[in-house]
Amino acid sequence: MSFVVANGLTHWFGRELVLEGVDLVVDTGEHMAVLGDNGAGKTTLLRVLATALRPTAGRLQIAGLDAFREKRRLRHHVGYLAHAPGLYPALSAVENLEFFCDLQEVSRTRVEEALDIVAMTSVARRRADQLSRGMQQRLAIARAILHEPRLLVLDEPDASLGEDAAELLTRVMQGKTVIMATHDRALANRLCQRTLELRHGRSHGTATRLHVVT
Amino acid sequence: MNPVRVAIAVARKDLKSEWRTRELVPALAQFVVLALLIGNFGFQVDTHNASAIAPGILWLALVFAGLVAFGRTFAAEREQASLEAMLMTPASPVAIFAGKAMAATVLLVLCEVVLLPALTLFFGTPLSGDVVAAVLLATVGMAALGVLFAAIVARVRARELLLPLLTLPLWIPFIVAGGQAVQSAMGLPGSYQEAMGLLLDFDILFVVLTSLAARFVLDE
Repeated sequence: MSFVVANGLTHWFGRELVLEGVDLVVDTGEHMAVLGDNGAGKTTLLRVLATALRPTAGRLQIAGLDAFREKRRLRHHVGYLAHAPGLYPALSAVENLEFFCDLQEVSRTRVEEALDIVAMTSVARRRADQLSRGMQQRLAIARAILHEPRLLVLDEPDASLGEDAAELLTRVMQGKTVIMATHDRALANRLCQRTLELRHGRSHGTATRLHVVT
Repeated sequence: MNPVRVAIAVARKDLKSEWRTRELVPALAQFVVLALLIGNFGFQVDTHNASAIAPGILWLALVFAGLVAFGRTFAAEREQASLEAMLMTPASPVAIFAGKAMAATVLLVLCEVVLLPALTLFFGTPLSGDVVAAVLLATVGMAALGVLFAAIVARVRARELLLPLLTLPLWIPFIVAGGQAVQSAMGLPGSYQEAMGLLLDFDILFVVLTSLAARFVLDE
């Protein structure tokens, strides 16, 4: 069953066309990687799919709902990891997550579980600005999964994660529908069943594992 | 989703961040003291003209301190790229706006805790409950407007220039009514009750209008 259905997603930033008629179908529980060079439109596509950005044209359905009309309802079901971690530097890892628990209206007991998934319990009380870049990325991932979303939209989740990135992301993505952007084709093939190639904002087709369209 | 809980969580987060970093309040407190000092030396203040000059200096210091305090509310979120994360939750944008406005109000009130006794020290004017009430009442409406415009300009490059240009004209009613209230509280002619009534009306009007507008400002 399709969980995400996008038709003709098009987006202009001023006079620049950054997404041009992207079509996409992602089934429930499927993991899809979005590949492409810098400036190919990966981040814009992911922001649209996460309902953070309304496209200039096109339609998007998530879980059968119109993603732009029902976006507030959908946000219970969508977890988004943006390109920048977007943490509060003066707050500890736990305080960062507790704040988002209050906004997501989920129990604060989820904080410990989320930190455990990203293997951060040992630095849970450390301020975000005292964490390494890799740890900040883990914390941002923990925030994205805090409310146990059904759809995860991850923009370069492997950035700064180090050697155990694949292992950590496997744990994070388990049982969820996932759309992730990455530059690492090997990681994409390991974690995702399908890949979507973007070039200059256009989709150059999807491919199943190990058969990326070039 | 309980909007009051969300607003309190946002305000608490902002105040906790300020408490840990002490970025804003100490600098603003120094600024208001320096503004009073300059006002004291710039005008030939004596016992006869102090109550006429002091309210003007008070509102000038308050207005510029407010611009800095409110300007930081959304600028910091944009710089940290944390605003998008907050807006990606199901929490109402109006509740998020209310929380930011509450925190900014508290920060400005902390500056006023320094400003008002310093005004008495430098100008010899009485520090009465009436003066405090007038300043607090004006702060509420000024914060609502200031934080709304701070949210609007946060995404543009020239935000430091745009914020005063947009905010100051709409703060004029607060400065006029607040100035009148403080002057009459300091013994100059004018109706204190009337000025306070006006301030309350402006507070209600602008708090309602900014709450309605906040949804559209923060939504995209």
